[in-house]
Amino acid sequence: MNVIEIKNLTKTYGKARGISDISFSVEEGEIFGFIGPNGAGKSTTIRTLLSLIYPTSGSATIFGKDTVQFAPEIKKEIGYLPSEVFYYDNMKVKDLLNYSASFYKKDCSKRIRELAEIMDLDLNKKIDDLSLGNKKKVGIVQGLLHEPKLIILDEPTSGLDPLMQQKFFELLEEENRKGATILFSSHILTEVQRLCNRVAIIKEGKIVTVEKISTLKENTYKKFKVETKSTLDPNYFNLAGVNKLEVKDNLTSFLFKGNINEVMRKIADIEITNLWIEEPDLEEIFMHYYEKEA
Amino acid sequence: MNIFLKELKSHRKSLVFWSIGVFLMVVSGMFKYESLSSSGQPMNEMLEGMPKSMLAVLGIGEFDISTATGYYGLLFIYLLLMATIHAAMLGATIIAKEERDKTSEFLFVKPVSRNGIITAKLAAAFVNILILNIVTFVSSLVLVGKYSNGEVVTGDIVVTMAGMFILQLLFMVIGSSLAAVKRKSKTAASLATGVLLLTYVISVAIDLNENIEGFKYFTPFKYFEAKNVMFGGGFEFTFVLLSGVLIAALTVVTFIFYKKRDLNV
Amino acid sequence: MNILLHELKAYRKSTIIWTISLIMVVALFMSFYPSFTKDTEEFRKLLEGYPAALREAFGINLDNFFSILGFYCYGLSFVTLCGAIQAMNLGTSIVSKEVREKTADFLLTKPVTRTTVLTNKLLAALISIILTNIVYLAAATLLAYQVATEDFNVSIFILLSLTVLFVQLIFLALGIIISVIVQKIKSVLTVSLATVFAFYFLGMFSSTSGEEAKRYLSPFKYFDTAYIIEKSSYEASFLIIGGIVMILAVGASYFIYAKKDIHSV
Repeated sequence: MNVIEIKNLTKTYGKARGISDISFSVEEGEIFGFIGPNGAGKSTTIRTLLSLIYPTSGSATIFGKDTVQFAPEIKKEIGYLPSEVFYYDNMKVKDLLNYSASFYKKDCSKRIRELAEIMDLDLNKKIDDLSLGNKKKVGIVQGLLHEPKLIILDEPTSGLDPLMQQKFFELLEEENRKGATILFSSHILTEVQRLCNRVAIIKEGKIVTVEKISTLKENTYKKFKVETKSTLDPNYFNLAGVNKLEVKDNLTSFLFKGNINEVMRKIADIEITNLWIEEPDLEEIFMHYYEKEA
Repeated sequence: MNIFLKELKSHRKSLVFWSIGVFLMVVSGMFKYESLSSSGQPMNEMLEGMPKSMLAVLGIGEFDISTATGYYGLLFIYLLLMATIHAAMLGATIIAKEERDKTSEFLFVKPVSRNGIITAKLAAAFVNILILNIVTFVSSLVLVGKYSNGEVVTGDIVVTMAGMFILQLLFMVIGSSLAAVKRKSKTAASLATGVLLLTYVISVAIDLNENIEGFKYFTPFKYFEAKNVMFGGGFEFTFVLLSGVLIAALTVVTFIFYKKRDLNV
Repeated sequence: MNILLHELKAYRKSTIIWTISLIMVVALFMSFYPSFTKDTEEFRKLLEGYPAALREAFGINLDNFFSILGFYCYGLSFVTLCGAIQAMNLGTSIVSKEVREKTADFLLTKPVTRTTVLTNKLLAALISIILTNIVYLAAATLLAYQVATEDFNVSIFILLSLTVLFVQLIFLALGIIISVIVQKIKSVLTVSLATVFAFYFLGMFSSTSGEEAKRYLSPFKYFDTAYIIEKSSYEASFLIIGGIVMILAVGASYFIYAKKDIHSV
């Protein structure tokens, strides 16, 4: 079952930025990454899902219900953590969390205490006096306290120290094990790689690709580095699927996408001293998608 | 210099609105004078018979409102109120807005001292209130002149505007010092306006009740009253000195407290 | 319900301050009544000899002006002005507060409709205003009894006092529509002071020119105190217009707010 389904979603701001014709879906129980650089349209998409802004055309459903029409109903089961958190002045952490909990028709006090303990958050402090990272923690607790079925995170890790980030990811994985679906927007690839099953890559308001992290890696190129005794003829590896061929003294390197056996046969024919075949990491894939048209 | 220009620019729109406001105030006031004087009645006779407390309730005080200048004296208190409200709010917001708009982290990490920033901001506020004063001055001059039937008005208007300018400055630094001292500078504008209205009410109360005459030192609205500066021998030295001391002291307070301030982020 | 309580709590302090201020204004005025009546005995007779046009220009109604009700009307105009600012502040901050403090994301991602959010906030503002009026009315009536030298009609006194509430409701509605339409209001006080004073001056214009139609332009002129004292009722046409203005403004606010994009910061 799809928890989120986005169909041809378009949002324009006059003629300026926005998103155009975005379609993808997030299945129940997965951790879905949503990556792209600043200004690509991640927040616009998320804010449309939360009906903070309304689509120019196209639509989206969450739990099978239209996001505009059934907004309040859907939100009962959504936890949201914005990239920047600002809360009401003059409130204690406890008061804010209780206020937040009061919107959901269940008793969240136990969960609040649990989460605060995990995140090491002092409930009796005034929000005004908290540091950015601690405000972020308030945001996390606030977003998770009602045990939502869908957690939407918009660049959530800024301001958290590595230790807290680790705890936060564990928390998310735990929620995921309990059945929560997670939409995780980020421009930090390593955290997406670490956490997500599938990703959508967005660029200039359009979805470039939606893939499983594992297929994304498989289906792309491999990095070859061949060390030989003497300098190779640059044309030796002139095959379909070879990219970025570089010959530097005895070291020849290139990227390859296609039937790997062809390359292996070529390599077998020459005298080599060393060989490296590497999987690209997500960062490189990402760069790949971004460079293609640049 | 860049901060100064930026501040001028960001307050330009509000200055235009305030200028239109004081202009309309003068227009509406003198309009009212026209309808009064055109009724052609011996107004003074009636007013002379009025007891002092009633004149005070009506806001007329001791003015001879059958003449354009006398009527202007009556109008002046409203112009003064507007100009000082503008000054107090400006003084408070120009200091507080960096924290309100969360731009303090932008501005205060630049290679400028806090004193430099405050100087630029206060200078910009100073220019703003000066312009508002000039606008008031010119509107008054033109419109009062129009109804004065040849009576010389310039001198009277000059002294009232000079008094108004001192009070504008005073309320500007009241606003800025409140913004600098208060931990939550956001509320400084409301507080400054509150202080202003309170002192105004006190000045009205003094008019109504002579027993509390002694309070006049506490309310700036009593310092340069139109009836004194226009018809009663000009500025009183005590009040000029008192205003000068207050302005200087509050400016110093603004600088010192802002320098020591922990900026909220 | 939770939003309502939260909002009420947020308004608590300002409601108390405004209520006290309104009572102080009326108390100040009422405290002058004893000396006023003493002074005016003779003057009253004198005034009778003067032309109606002149008396009208000052808003003096001979029958009422010297009674406590007439005297109260003078103070009431200031109370109404203050009350209008309070209501306008509340209305303007309803939506703009969330945008300025960047808490809109918090509130609007909760399982509530925007209509519910607006309704609760509106109710909270309404309760704040009504509480202010109840306390004010009680205090004003008490004060009137303290200073009155002769019997007065309490129901007219209450009718007069209630005009404050009606003017406030109109300004509350105006405030809401402004806060919904304007993308980002940096300073609520500036916006509300400007609007209230603009209408106040508009009212001053229309009162001198004496044309009935112009009274519709300013909510401050919807309730003619002389008419209320005379007929002990309100003017139906102005009540209806006031009601229509409120319904339109609030209705439009709901409509616009439901469709509005909430942008990130």
